[in-house]
Amino acid sequence: MQVNNGHVRTAVAIVTAASLFALAACGSSSGESGAEASGGEDTITVAYQKTATFTQMDDLMQTAKAEFEAANSGVTVELMPIEAEQDQYFTRLALMNGSAETAPDVIYEDTFQIRSDAAAGFLAPIDDYVEEWDDWDQYLDTAKQAGLGDDGQLYGVSTGTDTRGLYYHKDIFEAAGLPTEWEPETWEDVLEAARAIKESAPDVTPMALYTGQAQGEATSMQGFEMLLYGTGDQLYDTEEQKWVTGSQGFVDALTFYDTVYSEELGLPLELALDAAVGGRVATELLPQGQVGIALDGSWLPGNWISGDNPWPEWEEKIGFAPMPTQEGQEPGATSMSGGWTLAVGSQAEDPQQAFDFIATALNRENSLTYYTTAGQIAVRADIAEDPEYLNYNPSFEFFSSLVDVTNFRPATPDYSQISANIPVATESVATGSATPEEAAAAYDAGLVQIVGEDQTTEAP
Amino acid sequence: MASLTEPQVDRRRRGPTPRPRPGAARTLGRLLPLAPAVALLVVFLVGPILYSLYGSLTNRSMSGPGAADPQFIGLDNYTQLFSDGEFWTSVWLTVLFVGASAVIGQNGMGMALALLLRAASSPVRALVGTVVVGAWVLPEIVAAFAAYAFFSGDGTLNIVLGWFGLDGPAWLFTFPMLAVILANVWRGTAFSMMVYAAALNEVPPEITEAAELDGAQGWQQFAYITLPMIRRAVSTNLMLITLQTLGVFTLIWVMTGGGPGVQTSTLPVLAYQEAFKFMQVGYGTAIATMTLLVGALFSVLYIKVLKPEVD
Amino acid sequence: MVGTITPTAVAPDPRVATSVASPRKDRSKLLASVVLASIGVVFLVPMVWIVLAAFNPAATVSVALPSDPTLDNFTQVMTWETSFRPLWNSTVLSFGTASLTVVAATLAAYPLSRFQLRYRKPFMYSILFGTCLPITAMMVPVYALFVSLSLLDSIGGTILFLTASSLPMAIWMTKNFMDSVPVSLEEAAWTDGASSMTALRRIVVPLMRPGLSVVFIFVFTTTWGNFFVPFVLLFDTANQPAAVAIFNFFGQYGTVAYGRLAAFSILYATPVLVLYVLVQRLSGSSFAMAGAVKG
Repeated sequence: MQVNNGHVRTAVAIVTAASLFALAACGSSSGESGAEASGGEDTITVAYQKTATFTQMDDLMQTAKAEFEAANSGVTVELMPIEAEQDQYFTRLALMNGSAETAPDVIYEDTFQIRSDAAAGFLAPIDDYVEEWDDWDQYLDTAKQAGLGDDGQLYGVSTGTDTRGLYYHKDIFEAAGLPTEWEPETWEDVLEAARAIKESAPDVTPMALYTGQAQGEATSMQGFEMLLYGTGDQLYDTEEQKWVTGSQGFVDALTFYDTVYSEELGLPLELALDAAVGGRVATELLPQGQVGIALDGSWLPGNWISGDNPWPEWEEKIGFAPMPTQEGQEPGATSMSGGWTLAVGSQAEDPQQAFDFIATALNRENSLTYYTTAGQIAVRADIAEDPEYLNYNPSFEFFSSLVDVTNFRPATPDYSQISANIPVATESVATGSATPEEAAAAYDAGLVQIVGEDQTTEAP
Repeated sequence: MASLTEPQVDRRRRGPTPRPRPGAARTLGRLLPLAPAVALLVVFLVGPILYSLYGSLTNRSMSGPGAADPQFIGLDNYTQLFSDGEFWTSVWLTVLFVGASAVIGQNGMGMALALLLRAASSPVRALVGTVVVGAWVLPEIVAAFAAYAFFSGDGTLNIVLGWFGLDGPAWLFTFPMLAVILANVWRGTAFSMMVYAAALNEVPPEITEAAELDGAQGWQQFAYITLPMIRRAVSTNLMLITLQTLGVFTLIWVMTGGGPGVQTSTLPVLAYQEAFKFMQVGYGTAIATMTLLVGALFSVLYIKVLKPEVD
Repeated sequence: MVGTITPTAVAPDPRVATSVASPRKDRSKLLASVVLASIGVVFLVPMVWIVLAAFNPAATVSVALPSDPTLDNFTQVMTWETSFRPLWNSTVLSFGTASLTVVAATLAAYPLSRFQLRYRKPFMYSILFGTCLPITAMMVPVYALFVSLSLLDSIGGTILFLTASSLPMAIWMTKNFMDSVPVSLEEAAWTDGASSMTALRRIVVPLMRPGLSVVFIFVFTTTWGNFFVPFVLLFDTANQPAAVAIFNFFGQYGTVAYGRLAAFSILYATPVLVLYVLVQRLSGSSFAMAGAVKG
């Protein structure tokens, strides 16, 4: 076989095609990418989450864009909705933030991520900007805490929050001889109610409590931390800036789990440890009257009002009660809050302008619309007292009242690793493979392994 | 699909014409068709792979201090990995998962289906082929939910068992590994089926006819004649499905979330937790590298046992 | 000899029937059909949930007969933005990747299959293993690479990347198929003065059609289902393929729109199934080849 013209021609063709393609690709997009993402003087890029069931932020952004562009001629707002669910959304944001060319100016940021992202240098501090913003006075103190970074600077403005409390099914309570206006004051009250339900209706699950590893952070937040923060102990000592080991409150919270599962007051194990149990409780078990008490979040009624599985009767059938503290000690009840914020990216060319956009997006009117349609608990005093807000969803009033006693997670960069050990503990107690003391010791050991001995402190 | 090397072809290919060793120019010319493939591989994959492997020697993370200022920590990620009991459990689970669902399950079922397809009537062939392939082309997330709904405590499987008066357990809770293995067999068998159907087609019927006339029974034909002839296809198939199965993540994640506890936390599940939930990309890459090693070990095993002529 | 991949719409393979008496053959055919059909049913059952949920306006993850079956889920998802645009993007991505991969793999497999190359084995193994590192581990450098090449959010760039990552398996499979095509035919062509590229184009490729279609389907299907690569490399929602758009149905707080998800997934799976059936019918067989080699 000869090295003939065929070879040479093929070779030339391939090389030419490749170079042409490369040139074309580079040429076409290089002009745009520079001005696009990092936002020139006249462009603000806004990144946020959007899914089939969560379009409210998109609506808010569209409105804000129109308003802002109208008020600031020459400025373009470029919306970049990221259609992904939670974990992927965070990943995509992290990727975008990692490159200066693609880092957005305004970010829809989970309070959970703020400390981490601030430490990574992705966010710009906004203390100066909020000082000059009139609306800032309306924000509740706890909400102002939500956007703080490790260095004490403010990085995000809260877009609303969520709280957690006890849902109970009034019919089941009535059948068990329990008051339909239930006001438990201690953990024992809750357990007593569960026992009463078990006696009167053996087929009904007395209490649905997030327990499994498969439910991840939901177990930590809606389950365990709702108990722990009612004991007076905490996960993280904010004054010393160290993680807590050897906490009696930790053991007590696990003992609660132990009681629930050993007395069979909870969901059957295969259901309790199932990854999809949260949705099932909300859309099937509660509406069907198969669960008596559920410790869950403020967003449940939103599903019952509109969405794929509406349940109009909820207003008559469901009652609300705050989760009491362990012995009823001050402040009497406890709750946990998460929530999201709008933050300014550190690569923004004009941070003031980016903040101004946030201010427009979160002005009173837009905030009201967002809180109501997205089932968010108000973080602004003016809206929290607004009848329009309160009437939109009858459960708002109750869950808003919990904001006074709520706690936020210590969302340090390693929080997610540490928090992942909490469901390990609750699950091992629920399955009976460890006693509360053993599980707590295992958690302590894991904690030391993650942060190192010097970052921990013994509980008082 | 993958071919057998018939003795006649082999001799012919090894070159009846001993040509003079080609000069440099000719070799270069012969290698030229490789250029597009190599170019793509080099541009898009070599750099990122090397960078990632290097990344496994750092404490790089997607957020937090590890993102602003990743430190080189040498083999710390690996030593931490090896001293973690969970890692070894994960390796064992992965080996079990691959062995049971790919080597035995998909491979065996694929072969059985390929044989049955040849022997069955035409309409049944068409229908069943499409159904089996259907399970394969379903988007993984949907297949995962379907499998979840099937194995769940009050899911389809238990409903069907109920018709026969049997009371099935909560599969995902009591036998989680079994459930994910079966689900993966259900999902991936189509590939092996197609490979073996093509391979079986290439076995010359004269040889099997000759064996039959000599008195060999069906299974003897298969074991002693057919199987050795498609040895190469078997080896290639095993290698490919092993590598594919090593990467299975969504199926397990949706069905059991890696649980209960860590009973189904295979290496991809572990890597996902590290890289995504905890944003520890360096550590996650270390796990991925280990996964690759497991795959390499499997492949060495196949080659040693099956001794196909991979030239 | 290259035969059909999976005999579907082709006439009963004459090679299967042997010179034995008919009744025994009929009986074993019936037995095989029954066993096959039952396996088929087993494979079909888990998919029942998808169908039930798709027609159920209040679908949950549990298996339930819809009390009020409607086509609502379908009508809701069958819009340009929700379904058709992502499906179109998926088609472009998958078709582009599969075509490019088959071409590059065929070209690459030729020297690997035909010539005695010193580094063939190490090359084959290293591309297979070296490139098996999952994209989840590589996402940061790949993203940075694409930023520097200015290929982010470009369908063309994504196709190139997907091709690169599909090449290893494709080269393996293609080489194996090519090995079964006897060199004698090409040798005849070479002595007639044809170049190797011409021989490849005119002789080898037509004989490998069933094999190439397997590779094409494989790459097409895996690209169709590939979520991560397009997720990392494509920004604009208008560019996203269906594999990414499907995660749209997962909302906040763990809510999942199961009904719409199921309806969408039926739409999503159908094109690939259709492709599979089509390729089966069109790939045909080359019994002529058997004749040419026998002599």
